[in-house]
Amino acid sequence: MDLSFWILAALFVPLFPLSWIFNRLVATLPAGSAQGLAVLVLPQLGIELLHLIPPALFYPALVRHGVMVMATASALLYAVRALSARELGVWTRLVLCSGLATVWLGWSVGAPMAVLRLMALGWGLPAAVALYLTGILVRRVGGAYVGLHGGLVAVMPRMTASLVLAVLALTVTPVFPAFFMLWKGLGSVPVAWMPFWLPLIFLWGWAAGRLFQDLLFGDYRGEPVADIGGVSAVLIGLVFVASLALSLVGSGGAL
Amino acid sequence: MVMGSLGVWVPGLPVVSALVIFCFLRGTRLAARISVAALTITLILAVALLIRYLATGDVAIIDSQGVFGSLWLDPLSLVLWAFVSGISLIVHIYSVRYMVEEPGYARFFALLDLMTGVILVMVSAANLVTLLVAWFLVGVVLYFLLGHDHRRPAAGRYAFWTQITYRFGDLPLWFAALILVHCYHSTSLPVIFARIEEAPHMRLWGMPVPELTGFMLALAAFARSAQFPLHTWLPYTMDGPTPVSALMHAGIVNAGGFLFNRFAPLFEHAGWALHWAFGVGLMTALIGSGLMLLQNDIKRSLGYSTMGQMGFMVMECGLGAFPLAVFHLIAHGFFKASLFLGAGDVIGDARAHDGVPPDPIYTSVVERRPAKPSRLPWVVAAGLTVLVPVVVLSLSHFFVAEHLFYEQGVVVLLFFGWVTGAQALFAAHKMSHQDPWRLMLGILASFVVVVIGYTLISHYFGRLLYPDEHESLMLYRAASIHRLSFDALVMLLAAVFVGGWALTFFAESLELGAQFGGRGRGIYLGIYALLSRELYVADIYERLGQLVVQGSRRLNVWLRWC
Repeated sequence: MDLSFWILAALFVPLFPLSWIFNRLVATLPAGSAQGLAVLVLPQLGIELLHLIPPALFYPALVRHGVMVMATASALLYAVRALSARELGVWTRLVLCSGLATVWLGWSVGAPMAVLRLMALGWGLPAAVALYLTGILVRRVGGAYVGLHGGLVAVMPRMTASLVLAVLALTVTPVFPAFFMLWKGLGSVPVAWMPFWLPLIFLWGWAAGRLFQDLLFGDYRGEPVADIGGVSAVLIGLVFVASLALSLVGSGGAL
Repeated sequence: MVMGSLGVWVPGLPVVSALVIFCFLRGTRLAARISVAALTITLILAVALLIRYLATGDVAIIDSQGVFGSLWLDPLSLVLWAFVSGISLIVHIYSVRYMVEEPGYARFFALLDLMTGVILVMVSAANLVTLLVAWFLVGVVLYFLLGHDHRRPAAGRYAFWTQITYRFGDLPLWFAALILVHCYHSTSLPVIFARIEEAPHMRLWGMPVPELTGFMLALAAFARSAQFPLHTWLPYTMDGPTPVSALMHAGIVNAGGFLFNRFAPLFEHAGWALHWAFGVGLMTALIGSGLMLLQNDIKRSLGYSTMGQMGFMVMECGLGAFPLAVFHLIAHGFFKASLFLGAGDVIGDARAHDGVPPDPIYTSVVERRPAKPSRLPWVVAAGLTVLVPVVVLSLSHFFVAEHLFYEQGVVVLLFFGWVTGAQALFAAHKMSHQDPWRLMLGILASFVVVVIGYTLISHYFGRLLYPDEHESLMLYRAASIHRLSFDALVMLLAAVFVGGWALTFFAESLELGAQFGGRGRGIYLGIYALLSRELYVADIYERLGQLVVQGSRRLNVWLRWC
């Protein structure tokens, strides 16, 4: 019983190698909105499963350290892999898997469930927006391979601005929630683990920089294409304003 | 109370202005007016708060009651608030017309405002989280400012270089912050500094915590202030708009000097970190200044000049002269902003007048002036060159602050002052002139005025930033090394510099270059190639980056992109 909870939790709050299945599962969903919903709901489901097993402090140190090693390796592996991804959907899923591995770190040092939920939300929310926009991009341009047309900002400024916000939020840029959640998570981790975790911040920034190169700069070389509507852009903006408010006004009680 | 309520608006106004422009004024020219008005009020508030501090000596902390958002209105913050808002206002006013034909006019002003607000928060952060947030955001906003013209892939490429170097520099700051929280159980900077004072010898992994975090903070400062080998981004940021170059070279790149000063109570117990900073700063100053001489592009040349100046600034911190570094960054900021904003005029003038030096034969035959340069006797010139700077510098420091005269850091700064002064006099001697005595006396008079002015200002500025003189002395002591090693080092360096001047002098008069023939030329060309490729540092980074991305691609193919 306990083991099956563990396995399901590691599937929904993706931890390598089960993250491979999570990633595949999300990728096979037909629409961007369905993918977005999945990355919002599944990690929360995983955290509920973690709630059902005894807290980390009840396990021997060896188990906790094992989880920390797995979480570190998983986060680093996916962050490195995101460097070469140029398809927006793939990129988002890889960075999401890398970020969600930090939830396991929080769990292993005994962080409260509320903090774990917020950590999952901090990564899940921008990933959901990015996957939703990816779906729109695929429908309108025929693919979300950002190097294909170049300079998307010239023809789809609202879509690009929304994507930029999502990517920044996903790569722990302050003042989005993931930044404060990471600070909170790392603050509880023994200092000796930090040299292994800090490169993640660099790798996420590197991956975002490479994505922006293709997304923002250069001349657009595709067919004329319609941007997302003003109402959609405002709604997406409101999602980010809400998440900013969550970060700034007490960070949802996590800080 | 007054400071607190007014103080919030200093970083707050530019941020509010940015939000108003982003939300309501996109595509209108009103954005520029709103932006300039907001910055003008910000500057007035910043100067008013500084004057209030000078009158009352009150230091305030604006506590946000949370982990994020507290501000510390101490002398360092107040001086830097006035400086940053002043530079930013100049850049804003310049941009009103300069950027008018560029697309994204309103967005540019919104980003400028945001950048100003973030820097103002950074220099006044009262806790580690606020500092970390602002430090991080400076890199992000700068990326979008540098990449303002999205039609040019080169702008994006070099903005990316800057972003990635800044992100690298964020890591040691994160690490230092987490270690400090772990060891001193607070995120508040004043509390942490008080606890360091109580327990300066606390150890982690066998090292004193202040020393360990001192190394981390120094590394973060190196990346932000373009220290060798983390400098490659700086000269290439010229692809961004000129006002951004001015703001960056005048303000943003100085963040390293600010970081040293903010953590001064920690560096009082981190002598080895200061020695490291001195070494890195010295190397950067030499390489930056050397590479500056090789450039044929005025903006690139100014970029390397900034690198050299940042090297001097970090070197001053490494010597314990923390307030001097702040004075340096302010003086350099105004001077470099004016150079960048005037670069366009210089380029325009160069198109009208080629600036080629006069030909000696033309001078002699057509202008009927002596072709052979008239110079002072070499013994007189050498005496003046070597002795005058020593006398002027020593006397001015002796009369202003005699007790500091015995600190190693001050002696090294005097040594550099001597080298710089002597170099200026030596260069003046080499210039051909009708009346060499008049030229030399003019240079000497300027030198005396500059040295006395600089000594007086830097001394009183130091008293303003560090009212407790004990703190200044502690920093000088932390930066000191063993007396015998220090004396040997100074003598060795003096011999190297005097030998260098002698070599330069005799190389010309004895035509040493011709005597070495082809082999000498080969060495010269080799060194020139090495320097013109900027020591291959950027190439090495690029190759390493390619290798990591190739590895990443292989992993993805193997795992089928899932």
